[in-house]
Amino acid sequence: MSLGLSHIAVKRALVRALGILVGVLILPSPLWAQVVGEKTDRPPSEGRYLYRSVPDIPIRSEPVGMTLLSALWRERPLLLTLVFTRCAGVCSPMLRSLKAAAASVGGAGRDYRILVLSFDPRDTLSDMAELADHVGVAGDPAWIFGVASAEDIARIVRATGFWFEWEAASRQYDHPAMIIGIREGRIMRFLIGGAIAPVRLNEVIRELRGEFVPAYPLPRKVLFRCFQYDPASGRWAPDWGLLLLLLPGMVTILGTIWLFRRESAHRLSAEALRSREDVPGASDPGSRR
Amino acid sequence: MSPVAVFRLFLGLAIVVAVVFLLVARSTQRVREVDYKAAGQARKVFFFTLTGVLTAFLGITLPRMPYPREGVIPDRVVHVVGKQFAFAISETPIETDAQWEEVTSFAPPVRIPVGSLVEFRVTSFDVNHGFSVYSPQGQLLAQTQAMPGYVNRLRLRLNEPGRYTVLCLEFCGSAHHRMRGVFFVE
Amino acid sequence: MADQVVVSPVWSGVEQQRWRRLTATWMLVMLLLFPVLLLLGAFMRIVQANWLPTLLPEWFYAVMTLHGLGMVGTWFVGAMAAVSYVLTQYVRPSRAISWGTLAATVLGVLLLLVTTLVGRFGVGWYFLYPLPFYPAGVWPNWATWMFLFSLAILGVGWTVWAVDLLRAIARSYSLRVALAWHYIRGRTEPEVPPAVLITTVSLISALAGFLAAVIILVLSVLEWAGTGFTNDALLMKNLIFFFGHVLVNITMYLGVVLVYDVLPRYSARPWKTNRMVAIAWNTVLFLVLFAYFHHLYMDFVQPQWVQVLGQVASYFISVPAAVVTIFSALVLVYGASMRWTLSSILMYLGVMGWAIGGVAAVIDSTIAVNLRFHNTLWVPAHFHTYYLMGVVLMLLGFAAHFGQEVSQQSENGRLTKIITALFVIGGYGFLLMFYLGGAHSVPRRYAVYPQEVLQGVDYARIALGFIALLFLGVVLYLWETGRRCLLAFRTSP
Repeated sequence: MSLGLSHIAVKRALVRALGILVGVLILPSPLWAQVVGEKTDRPPSEGRYLYRSVPDIPIRSEPVGMTLLSALWRERPLLLTLVFTRCAGVCSPMLRSLKAAAASVGGAGRDYRILVLSFDPRDTLSDMAELADHVGVAGDPAWIFGVASAEDIARIVRATGFWFEWEAASRQYDHPAMIIGIREGRIMRFLIGGAIAPVRLNEVIRELRGEFVPAYPLPRKVLFRCFQYDPASGRWAPDWGLLLLLLPGMVTILGTIWLFRRESAHRLSAEALRSREDVPGASDPGSRR
Repeated sequence: MSPVAVFRLFLGLAIVVAVVFLLVARSTQRVREVDYKAAGQARKVFFFTLTGVLTAFLGITLPRMPYPREGVIPDRVVHVVGKQFAFAISETPIETDAQWEEVTSFAPPVRIPVGSLVEFRVTSFDVNHGFSVYSPQGQLLAQTQAMPGYVNRLRLRLNEPGRYTVLCLEFCGSAHHRMRGVFFVE
Repeated sequence: MADQVVVSPVWSGVEQQRWRRLTATWMLVMLLLFPVLLLLGAFMRIVQANWLPTLLPEWFYAVMTLHGLGMVGTWFVGAMAAVSYVLTQYVRPSRAISWGTLAATVLGVLLLLVTTLVGRFGVGWYFLYPLPFYPAGVWPNWATWMFLFSLAILGVGWTVWAVDLLRAIARSYSLRVALAWHYIRGRTEPEVPPAVLITTVSLISALAGFLAAVIILVLSVLEWAGTGFTNDALLMKNLIFFFGHVLVNITMYLGVVLVYDVLPRYSARPWKTNRMVAIAWNTVLFLVLFAYFHHLYMDFVQPQWVQVLGQVASYFISVPAAVVTIFSALVLVYGASMRWTLSSILMYLGVMGWAIGGVAAVIDSTIAVNLRFHNTLWVPAHFHTYYLMGVVLMLLGFAAHFGQEVSQQSENGRLTKIITALFVIGGYGFLLMFYLGGAHSVPRRYAVYPQEVLQGVDYARIALGFIALLFLGVVLYLWETGRRCLLAFRTSP
């Protein structure tokens, strides 16, 4: 007796099921993604990753095509950020904020470039092109949008303190908003958060350019400082403390001049009265010893 | 120039000074008139020689200032926080008293690969301390101040493997002499 | 303002005797404090030699504070008193103010004794902020307050004294004349004695230093009184080192005033101001305000141009000292019909000590060298050379000269030779141990030497042998000179 299904139909169903199983198992599927990187409650700490080397991975981008990361950072410093195009959260706002800050600070394309990589294996180059368009930087030579293999992305993630985790409930990746300043393949600074202040960006770009700030005063409520560092201009401006330091010298010089002037009246009158021969019994200073 | 060599230079110069003073003192045994013109000439020579030597040493030594140069990227960063009476030395930043306690009490010493250019970021949570690095042979290699409210950046290339001691070099209270830290280069 | 013609003051016999007694009192105070403070220093070396292993280290640091402040203060007041006396040849300082300062000094010293020896207050002589506020359980609150108060008393007394002496000079000389600017222009009239020139330079610098100390005290009190503000550690460090550097340097210069005045009397040759002397001391007035940056080389947060300025100023300030004063002192003595007495020998040796200390100082003021010498024993090595074998010998030489003058007693030539030998061998041997310590990376201000720098213990032990010789020389000197100074108080002049 037959079940009403032809053996061909059963075969097709089996093949389809097998295909789905294989696809689910082998193809990079969000359903199977674990946390990549070290997930922390606190934002990634720049101090831990400072000066560490960034893995030199191959990336694909338009219009450059296939290139190594090192080829890019050798040309000029990079601001690297990791996003995914289906992001309903912070990715686009962060990129827009970065675009605005970069426009305000200047030097994009000349002093540094911005590399936006996707950590989502589903993202293609055309997805990235759409994202670039969406942010409003399509065609801008300062911005590079690219993709890389999952293993290579994982290497970058582990080397920089970034992390991402698939959340089934929202069907989104959970991840920090973070931009990594890279110079000569080494991590120089982080910018954490979705809102990029031009002042902070300026600081990072200065360090990427190789400018060195030997001091960093820690934020403290302090009475008088000698100098205040203005991150916007990168210059040290004198503060009230410097005046206090110069005060002793200045006041003393002025005070001395005043003292001598005050005494000049006495000097003149003493000279007018002076007559050494008229004072009896007094000794000549020279003969005192 | 090693400190001992500097000491030898100083000793040599001090002996020269002493000999000059001795000879001048002995010259009083035979009274004579001073040839002020010759003395004036000698003084001129002394002036130009001294100024020349000082300028030369300025030229030689100023480029060797220990302040970090622009454009050089160190291999790693080590964070140091001084507080009465220990140094917390760690590759992760130390931002609170609790972290300082943890690092000084529990953390294993930092281990640095030999030949690295290390940047020490040094600060203090209380008074001025002096972060100094002593080589495995007990020679002072470099130092910087640990000042509250500021971070000093000292860069050092560590070419010799071994145990490095950190001693406090700015008087900081009753246990100043016991204040120390350690790290390893391997 | 035209250059004033200067006329020297005329003193009656009674006034002269009063000046002698005032100066004798100061000399005796100086000569009393010196051995006490020296013994405190010896105590420090004994602790470092590990001969008091059960002693709590906080006692070392309290004694260190007292020894440092005591010595800096003692030689400053001694120099001021001696210079005031020398200047009575030319100007009229106020004796009343000098006595007042003596009272303030005695009070300040007593308070300091209590603060350190009872309160165990141990912050080092230059009380680097914010250490006074971090006792680590050692000294009580009242000790901090008493310390600030004693500094205030000393500061007020010494500032008033310095202002009075400057006023006395201003009464007789215009500022341009006192600074001998006309000599630079090639004129030698009116004649300005080197003592007046150098003292003017020193007092202006000293007052700037005291003003910095006032600012430090005010800022410290503001914070300590609980206003909620914290002071900037870098600003405070700059102020403190400016104050300290200037104070010890002008003490040196005041000692040099004595050499310019007294040494020529023994060589029967004059030492007058000329164009070169005028240029030299005006240069010093300028450079002494910037040289202090050499104390902050290891504060990498200071702007780099300031560090370079520090090295340049520190290097070139040695030029006027060496080329003008020290060279001239040698020319003064060379082939002279020299009366070698305790006074002239000590002063001559003092100049030599100044020269040697200067070499060590210039070396350490090289930033690249300072990286490895800063806060090692090299630092006390060079400043003890400047002080003990420099300004102290100059002042002891003056006191011996003064003692001779008031007592009119002939000198014991044999004792002079013994005292000289003990000072030289004891003093330079003691210093050598510091220099060796610095060369071998031994830190300064350590009560106990850790394992890495145990050679410090050996150096301390050897140093004590030399200190014993030095102390013997000091005792003999005190016997000779102290006796003579006391004769200033006999009723018939």
